[in-house]
Amino acid sequence: MSLSRIPLVAGLLIIAFVIQEAFINRINFFLGGFAFYLAFSIAWILKEDRSTAVLVGFISGLIADLSPTLEAPFGLWMLVMTGFAFVLTTYVRGSLDPNLSPLTLSVVTAAASAVALILFLIFGAILGQDVAPLNAVIREISGNTFWSFLLSPLVIPFALKMHNLSLTARER
Amino acid sequence: MATRGTNRARLLLVSLLVTSLLLITLDLRGANVITAVRSASQTILAPFQSAGSAILSPIGNFFSDLFNLGNTRERIAELERENEELKSQVILNENLEGELAQLKGVLDLAGKARFKTVSARVISKGGTSTFSETLVLDQGSRAGIRADMTVISEAGLVGVVKSTSANTSVVLLMNDPAFRVGVRVAGSQDMGVLAGQGRNLYSLQMLSASANLSVGDVLLSRGSSGDSPFVPGVPVGKIVFVDNAAGQLTKQARVEGFVDLNSLGVVSVVLDSRGNNPGDALVPAAPRPAPTVTVYVTPSPTSNE
Repeated sequence: MSLSRIPLVAGLLIIAFVIQEAFINRINFFLGGFAFYLAFSIAWILKEDRSTAVLVGFISGLIADLSPTLEAPFGLWMLVMTGFAFVLTTYVRGSLDPNLSPLTLSVVTAAASAVALILFLIFGAILGQDVAPLNAVIREISGNTFWSFLLSPLVIPFALKMHNLSLTARER
Repeated sequence: MATRGTNRARLLLVSLLVTSLLLITLDLRGANVITAVRSASQTILAPFQSAGSAILSPIGNFFSDLFNLGNTRERIAELERENEELKSQVILNENLEGELAQLKGVLDLAGKARFKTVSARVISKGGTSTFSETLVLDQGSRAGIRADMTVISEAGLVGVVKSTSANTSVVLLMNDPAFRVGVRVAGSQDMGVLAGQGRNLYSLQMLSASANLSVGDVLLSRGSSGDSPFVPGVPVGKIVFVDNAAGQLTKQARVEGFVDLNSLGVVSVVLDSRGNNPGDALVPAAPRPAPTVTVYVTPSPTSNE
């Protein structure tokens, strides 16, 4: 990734983060909630090469850690998203069709969102965070997966369009 | 080439993971910079959250209402009748009226306890990816709000202020798994500790093995030293299940909260309890039983007779 893309990618991730914090979080989703920002970040990571994906994962984690409502230590989302971006691009992206269909991308995004949340929870517990009872956690994660699967098709085209716009002529 | 690319990715991965771990360590060691960064992000987000709150207030419950359709079928007939009476009102006013009712309720509660409070609107909630139960209020340090102040609603305890910026405050809700509050049973004054469970049911651990608990007992906040973070006497919830299993050192129970934390529009932050301890004065009144209607029927003579 050329260095000139970093501010643009960070800017777009910040916009997605503001949409999550200011709008999506206000909606009562009945079961869990929709992690728009996470879905946007993962869809973006899936379209990048390995090095860029790791860097985008780090930046997206850094922005997620800025959430004032977050109880977890600063840096936890960074740790999870950086490692997860590497795993996604190394082991998941490689085993999929290079031209991901929108449906495959939606399924992978929803599943990856759930795995990212579980990893966040596990690492948080290791660092001494209080964890909700298992049934509450299952409800939250299954709700998030459901909404991610349902609403990702709305998010992903937007993320892909932004991703294409952010590419330099040589990268295209 | 591929090996060089792989090595570069791994080197980048390791350096970024080390950076993350360094930041986690700094935060866990209480570095002020990180607290300041989150506070600054809250200040920047506040105008967007206020805008989001204004735009989404009327439709914020759309999804939950959609999923509750099956459960509310019985209410539809009743609501249709009420709807005829409400047609004359402007739809957007309903939201304002709801907030006004909540504000009146919370001011009544604070007034009864003679607490000095500041009221604030809820402008955002913690997201699903944070796994923490939090709210963002549209009042902050400029209104006198500081960390570790009690937050109440018309029905009772909501949570405690976690952090503030100039114009916003983040509230840790009482159903967060990290939330603990000392409580006492109204009447018997037995003491215990209530813990959040991530939804509207809470676990209660009594401090004494001889505590006498029964279903329906009302719990009030016990109050903290210097009334921070909790002022005394605020209704917390009522006991719905008592665990009488043998072999326990202390009694345990399940508690249902008085406050519906999913539908909060307006809350109050207690700035000063003025040294008042309302005792059991804030215990919610028991619902009055509906009067029994007796209908006398006089049989009328039929034409066959």
